[in-house]
Amino acid sequence: MTHKRVTMSTAAKYLAVLRFSMTMARYERAELYGRVAFFVVILGVFSSLWRVVAEAGMPLAAEPRTLVWYLAITEWILLSAPPIYIEIQEAIRRGDVVYRLGRPVSYALSEFASGLGLLLARAPVLGVTAFVCASIFTRWLPPYRALLLLVPFGLAAAALITALYLVMGLLAFWLQDVSPVFWVWQKLLFVLGGLMLPLEIYPDFVRRVAAFTPFPVVLAEPASFVLRSHVEAPVLLLHLGVWSCLIALTACWMFRRAALGLSVNGG
Amino acid sequence: MFRFIRALTTMNLKANLALRGAFALQVLFMVLNNFTFFVFWWALMRRVPVLNGWRLEDVELLFGIVAAAFGLTVGLAGGVRHLGRFIDEGQLDTLLTQPKTVLVHALGLRSQPSGFGDLLSGVVLIGWSGRLSWHTLPLVAAAVGASALVLIASGIVFFSLAFWLGRVETVARQLWEMLITFSLYPEPLFGGAVRLVLFTLLPAGFVGYVPVHLVRAPSWAEGVALAAAAGAYLTVAIVTFDRGLGRYSSGSRFTTFG
Repeated sequence: MTHKRVTMSTAAKYLAVLRFSMTMARYERAELYGRVAFFVVILGVFSSLWRVVAEAGMPLAAEPRTLVWYLAITEWILLSAPPIYIEIQEAIRRGDVVYRLGRPVSYALSEFASGLGLLLARAPVLGVTAFVCASIFTRWLPPYRALLLLVPFGLAAAALITALYLVMGLLAFWLQDVSPVFWVWQKLLFVLGGLMLPLEIYPDFVRRVAAFTPFPVVLAEPASFVLRSHVEAPVLLLHLGVWSCLIALTACWMFRRAALGLSVNGG
Repeated sequence: MFRFIRALTTMNLKANLALRGAFALQVLFMVLNNFTFFVFWWALMRRVPVLNGWRLEDVELLFGIVAAAFGLTVGLAGGVRHLGRFIDEGQLDTLLTQPKTVLVHALGLRSQPSGFGDLLSGVVLIGWSGRLSWHTLPLVAAAVGASALVLIASGIVFFSLAFWLGRVETVARQLWEMLITFSLYPEPLFGGAVRLVLFTLLPAGFVGYVPVHLVRAPSWAEGVALAAAAGAYLTVAIVTFDRGLGRYSSGSRFTTFG
């Protein structure tokens, strides 16, 4: 009973962080509107591109309209995930992290909860933008079953990207500036994640390498719901579960090492 | 004026090169960044070799010219992307007391080392397009220069909106990024009203498409049109900034620029 109460109060603390972050995001909308504008432009450009590709009459792995929806989904997932590594890196560089370590909440978990709050504030707005723009540009809607599956899997994928940002941010304990890590990560996500093109369009070796990374799990696999008639939701669920565990373990291990280092050597 | 610009450029270069490791890393990662983005075009045009008359070489030329122009802009006039904040936060105070043109000084304040990575990848892509030779070098350089001038002029106009509207950093940055985004995709993708916008309010046509036309099929008419457009946009930018400067209110800041 006591253990249950403690667990509940721990969850309540992170839930409070999440709700606070969501409330803050509602008041600071400039960045969100910027993301929406970028989203509309990029979908407009790509719907024109796929139309021209279709006019060229050359075979691609999928129809142009499904490729616009594919991009709408990958961008929705990516733009919904807040880049929390920047805030973590700055806190570590300024030294603010030292007084936050003493609080009765885990620094890493509270940053993740805060990131999830931002994600939950952004995802609905960006999701509506994706849906409206993609349906206007293509004049087509994917099967309802695919759309229904996309919402939970897309949110889970965006949460996993947020967790990856957390790991990246924690690297600042050792590297101070994690921008080069982000740049490499961004490029890998672009190609191995299939951000703009489904992986089927890339050469064989790219697909083989991608299978050993979390990148397709967070972008290409959820977005592929609109490309295929048969949806392999259990497989994606398994992949998301495996990678979530691996990333959570990595984040825990890194944070413990960093906190131990700070306790022994000072901030 | 030209001596001042030269001195500012030299100072920026020296400042960037002072941290050689960081400079090299930023250049390298920007080159990687641009080539990774280009993987999209290689993958697509392996399957679709011609898009409304545009081949891979043409896309390489377009991407190369825009990347090189963007590199020149942020490498030599990096302050353009910070003008909105300078204006809104009253950071122009220090420049107003100096005997040199405020706009030129403000533009030269924030040189980005990554711009040299853009410039380098741009030159490589132009080279791959097969349009770079000793014979075409002056034309390519003129096209890149004109494209950079239009980019700088557009940036000055977008970020100078802060003189009238206050905190417009996000909006101005979005306009600037939209201009670059549209410039990077082949011209035949856009028609109708969008095309009109791309040759007026958001001059992607003069940043990418017209310079590409000029290099692909050189003609006096196209050259004069591009030079006139660059001159016109620059004039509008200078007039806008000067008008805005008349409305500028001090931030009463005590600070130094370096």
